Amino acid sequence: MSIDFRKVTHIIDDQHAAEEKMLQECKSEKFSLDSPYIKLNPYLIAPLTALAHFTTPEAVAATVTVEGKEPEGNMRFLFPAATEHYLPIYGLYPDCANTVRIALDNGKSATLTIRTGKAPDTVHLPSGIKTTAEYMGDNVMFVSPTSPGNAAAYDYRGDVRWYVTLNLSFDLKRAANGRLLMGTHRLLMPPYHTTGVFEFGMIGKIYKEYRIPGGSHHDQIEMEDGNLLILTQDPPRGTVEDMCVLVDRKTGDILRTWDYRKNLPQDVGGSGSQDKHDWFHNNSVWYDKRTNSLTFSGRHQDAVINLDYDSGELNWVIGDPEGWPEDFVKKYFFKPVGDLSRFDWQYEQHAALMLPDGDVMCFDNGHWRAKVKEKYVPAKDNFSRGVRYRINTGTMEIEQVWQYGKERGEEFFSTYICNVEYYGEGHYMVHSGGIGTFRGETCNRPPVQFRGDDEQYVRLNSITVEIKDDKVVYEMRIPANYYRAEKLPLYCGEDKLSFGKGQILGSLGVTGEFGTIPDVEVGGDIPDKYKIKLAQEVDRLVMKGTFEKGQLVMLLLEGETTHAYFVPTTRRPFLAMCVGTFLEADDRAVEFPVSFENLSGTYKVSFIIDDRKYDGGVTLTI
Amino acid sequence: MIKEIRQQEFDGMDRTRPMLVEFYSKTCGPCKMLAYVLRDIDAGMPDFPIYQIDFDENVELKERLGVSGFPTMIFFKNGEEAERMEGLKQKPAIVKAIEALLA
Repeated sequence: MSIDFRKVTHIIDDQHAAEEKMLQECKSEKFSLDSPYIKLNPYLIAPLTALAHFTTPEAVAATVTVEGKEPEGNMRFLFPAATEHYLPIYGLYPDCANTVRIALDNGKSATLTIRTGKAPDTVHLPSGIKTTAEYMGDNVMFVSPTSPGNAAAYDYRGDVRWYVTLNLSFDLKRAANGRLLMGTHRLLMPPYHTTGVFEFGMIGKIYKEYRIPGGSHHDQIEMEDGNLLILTQDPPRGTVEDMCVLVDRKTGDILRTWDYRKNLPQDVGGSGSQDKHDWFHNNSVWYDKRTNSLTFSGRHQDAVINLDYDSGELNWVIGDPEGWPEDFVKKYFFKPVGDLSRFDWQYEQHAALMLPDGDVMCFDNGHWRAKVKEKYVPAKDNFSRGVRYRINTGTMEIEQVWQYGKERGEEFFSTYICNVEYYGEGHYMVHSGGIGTFRGETCNRPPVQFRGDDEQYVRLNSITVEIKDDKVVYEMRIPANYYRAEKLPLYCGEDKLSFGKGQILGSLGVTGEFGTIPDVEVGGDIPDKYKIKLAQEVDRLVMKGTFEKGQLVMLLLEGETTHAYFVPTTRRPFLAMCVGTFLEADDRAVEFPVSFENLSGTYKVSFIIDDRKYDGGVTLTI
Repeated sequence: MIKEIRQQEFDGMDRTRPMLVEFYSKTCGPCKMLAYVLRDIDAGMPDFPIYQIDFDENVELKERLGVSGFPTMIFFKNGEEAERMEGLKQKPAIVKAIEALLA
């Protein structure tokens, strides 16, 4: 049989084509306030957004109001004076005839009805929410998925007011230009390392894809000058999640790299989930201007580390020192002080950040809650929490000054993912997004790891809490797992819609080739059972197939020279499934991308599967 | 020279001369690929001994040598372990390790 081959356009190209068509339609006639041009989901990925276009004889400001189910649910934004109006509309309800009012500052107004479609079931609805419209103000709560789901935003009632249809993942932050930063949907290697980070507007328009050669994961943060710190790795060296890069915001070039293998021993201080491959499991990055330092959370060493930004040298480590070399502990670790009856170290933590006063906060998952197996704490007796430590880097002392979550015990326990936010003194968010039970018992491992028949016995939960002056002022529960939560208003003055094609920046790097090509028999049809599919994207070829564990698979691109790629079919156990949305239902599924970097010309595609070479029947021109 | 051996042969052999011992599994894609790499190396260095040991069938030996996964290559010299490589490696890296043994 011939294999399934197709060319796949990049979402930036698709959006550009849609935008060109939309602008042509806008110019095809003169639209007025009374009869405006309305485009629902103009950039294809955000179904609860729309664009309204009309012209006015004189420059006037316009206020858009998306009517809520009750007045407190209104979403309103004032746009500056213009004659050509292109007004983004955010916060529509799904499956609803939404009422949208546009009022001009010359007194004229119009009321529109915008009909939206039903959201897919993967946009999960909260099972409960406790807060007030007054507390939330213009904000909605964004969550990014770990179990199958969509990144979405919920208002004070728990109503969905925004979601994306692309499988975007990990951290979601708003940059200084008002746009959102979030991991791309393009998988680079399993289980969740993607090509990089998208910068996109709330309307769904992707302005930039920042591609990183080693792929990106977990977190990114914008520096004051606009450059981006993005977490990555160098896969050929055999370890993951142990590097950070500084990316030029304009060009996508990598300006600097921090490699924690230079700072830390890799074979000590391991958490219960550590293995050699994922020895550190870096899940957050934070830059502190006051100390000009970087803070990284390493789940698999139960360690929050701090490096000097300029020198890259290790400043300190927050964590239980058990199992670390004595000289290392003496030099870098803190000694607990204060009320020790209230003090707990953090274990397998996430989302470490430094506060303006130098305190350090993180989500203490507490997974295993010990350094040695004999002392591991089972889930039923465990807890997760947000914790704030005060550190003195002169005396190397640490004091726990605040926590929320311990008192909730196992119902708030997440073995993985989650985050905290600091809004100001006494005002925090603690998001426990990885809660799960299996057959009624709290999970001792990430619940998304249960696959196949076991899945039916898994119940997921995500609890997002905000605390102000020791009072819970917000609590939302959603029956799914969410990597992080982020509270933001939908409208933001800096997030100005601009037209033109988005940019694909940076590089996917060169895919490692294998120097030995097995001398095997040639010929025959590729058996159907392998279900091989090839997708040619703008910058890479993605091979998908279904293979039994341990089969030898090699992808060959044969042109003037032959490029051979070994395709792994033996899956390693992923001990920290921070994003499970890329997992295939069939655990034999294999996905392998080949970057087009350094490839040029025409290539015949063939495969070696075990002891036979097959012609793929496809010729690629790159 | 490539030869498949079992624990008894390993224990009985003279290990004072340089050699490479590879632990593999029949259910491992990288091991299958590595077999081709080792054959390729053998073609150029036919006098250098390469021994292959089934990971799953030689449990006591693998535990004694601290082999926890496959493929694992252990390079011996003067009866001692000189170097260990875990996972699939390319021909140049393995040849370099062999040349270091022979130096």
